[in-house]
Amino acid sequence: MLIRLRNIYKIYGEGLESEVRALNGVSIGIDYGEFVAIAGASGSGKSTMMNVLGCLDVPTYGEYYLAGEDVSEMNDKQLSHIRNKQIGFIFQGYNLIPALTAQENVELPLVYQGVGAAARRQMALEALERVGLADRAKHHPSEMSGGQQQRVAIARAIATRPPIIMADEPTGALDSKTGLEVLAFLQQFNREGSTILLITHDNGIAATARRIVRLSDGKIVEDHEQEVDWL
Amino acid sequence: MKLNQAFKMAAKSILAKKGRSFLTMLGIIIGIASVMTIVSVVSGSNRKMVEYYESMGTNRVEVSGYFYSGASMFDQLYDYCQSLGSVVVGITPNAQFYDGTVRYGAKNSETMEWEQRPQVYYGSDQYSLCNNFQIARGRDISRFDIEEYNLICVMGARAAKVFFDYADPLGQDISINGLPFKVVGVYAEKDPDRSYSLDNVIVLPYSVSRFISQGSQMNEYVIKVRDAKSINEVITRVGDYINTITQNQTIGSGNVYSNNQWIDSENDSMKMMSLVLGGIAGISLLVGGIGIMNIMLVTVTERTREIGIRRAIGAERSSIVAQFLVEAAMICGIGGLIGIGMGYLFTNMAGKLLLEGYSLLPSVPITAGAFGFSVILGIVFGLYPAIKASGLQPVVALRAE
Repeated sequence: MLIRLRNIYKIYGEGLESEVRALNGVSIGIDYGEFVAIAGASGSGKSTMMNVLGCLDVPTYGEYYLAGEDVSEMNDKQLSHIRNKQIGFIFQGYNLIPALTAQENVELPLVYQGVGAAARRQMALEALERVGLADRAKHHPSEMSGGQQQRVAIARAIATRPPIIMADEPTGALDSKTGLEVLAFLQQFNREGSTILLITHDNGIAATARRIVRLSDGKIVEDHEQEVDWL
Repeated sequence: MKLNQAFKMAAKSILAKKGRSFLTMLGIIIGIASVMTIVSVVSGSNRKMVEYYESMGTNRVEVSGYFYSGASMFDQLYDYCQSLGSVVVGITPNAQFYDGTVRYGAKNSETMEWEQRPQVYYGSDQYSLCNNFQIARGRDISRFDIEEYNLICVMGARAAKVFFDYADPLGQDISINGLPFKVVGVYAEKDPDRSYSLDNVIVLPYSVSRFISQGSQMNEYVIKVRDAKSINEVITRVGDYINTITQNQTIGSGNVYSNNQWIDSENDSMKMMSLVLGGIAGISLLVGGIGIMNIMLVTVTERTREIGIRRAIGAERSSIVAQFLVEAAMICGIGGLIGIGMGYLFTNMAGKLLLEGYSLLPSVPITAGAFGFSVILGIVFGLYPAIKASGLQPVVALRAE
């Protein structure tokens, strides 16, 4: 089992009258090579779940095992290493650094891995090649369309060849055609062996995943496998 | 993350915001330039003063004294100093003769520009010793010249140049108030930038004063003392002796002092001045540093999202701290270098304008200190925002707009 959550709670303002339980006792297991869509309306806790799964945030209570290791016991340095080596993130708002070129953005996780400049450049260009943007390597994000920026973000996510890719509403800011391109990339990475977690509020997009987990009010209300629309 | 990566990132981010980076540096630039200039000018003018006193000779006790009758005190002082033994190294009259007209060929001191006109002194065979002159050519005044009333003179380097230009002055006769004086020696130059015309002198054996200036009194003397420790002793004893021979200043007048005291008080007041001025300049440097901290805080707030992105893709806290720290240190370092450049420029200009072309350059310790201080400022004032920025949960930082 790659990911195992046991009774995860994320509670804001605990004990106060305004207490919010973004995750209210979530338990789930996700195996290697799965493509899981985490669906739910806004406020259902799906983004919080991705933040916890992606080690971007720490749960208030509960246990989180990643590849058998207890994440809740880890310090900041170890969590940084997990984010760096095990997980590739794709965000709704692309989250590229505006001052850096496409290539430099893609190289950034490799910089934090301590990869040498020449190897870094080669890996970044390979990743950009895979998303069809090798010719835009020297462009800044501001010189690219939304779809192109999201593809740069995808290249950044796969540059370190992480076993897990997490995408938080990756099509949210894109038109439907470029959105489908992004989803097609995710399916392709899944076929190649990556574990994909796709967070979305859109059932049509969730339909691209083999397994769908639906959240409501911080609890899992639905979890089943489905036929996939291959793109 | 390696440090050179932090440097590259910092350089990129500084270059991306040139205008703001420069404004941030401005405080440091002005601070360092002013600290350097002020400290250099103060210490330079101090050094210049000390050099002046030292070129006159150190460990000198100056005596000014005469009898109301017009008689000279020198022979009595000379004998008394002999009796003091080895604490006294030499004694000479140091009397300037103001009414001398010096002529050689067509050159006439009366018609010369003020700064060309030589100063004529009466001295003993110990004049050069007491006044820190060295014979460059020929010979010095001898005891024999004084006893025999020889009409000879020794010229300072500048005076020799004024009268003889490139010709050889040795053996030539110059005329002083109509009497021919043979030039027997030339002193080595000791005041090359000519700020005090110490070299524009003509020294005569004091005994010849009876031929050319019968009426003028010789009342300035210099006693060269063995070392600085003996100065006070000599001042006291010679002062007592003068009181004795003037019958407590009733038949004559005299007092004794040392220019070591001037050097000391000069040094003291300069130290005080550089402390006060340096303090003011230091405050401006501090204000510049606080400006840097403000800018770093704003930068960090603005770039919280970027920090979130970097954290999300695997940057450790320490990498973020390193990045911002290096950026702050770099801004201060570059500002420091520019400040040092301007400090050199201003110091040079100040030397030309305020100290009559005295070539003034900031010392290496001042320069190194200024640079080190600016980088430390950057590190100190960059640390707080950097730690603040890195402490955020990645998700919190990512949410920032």
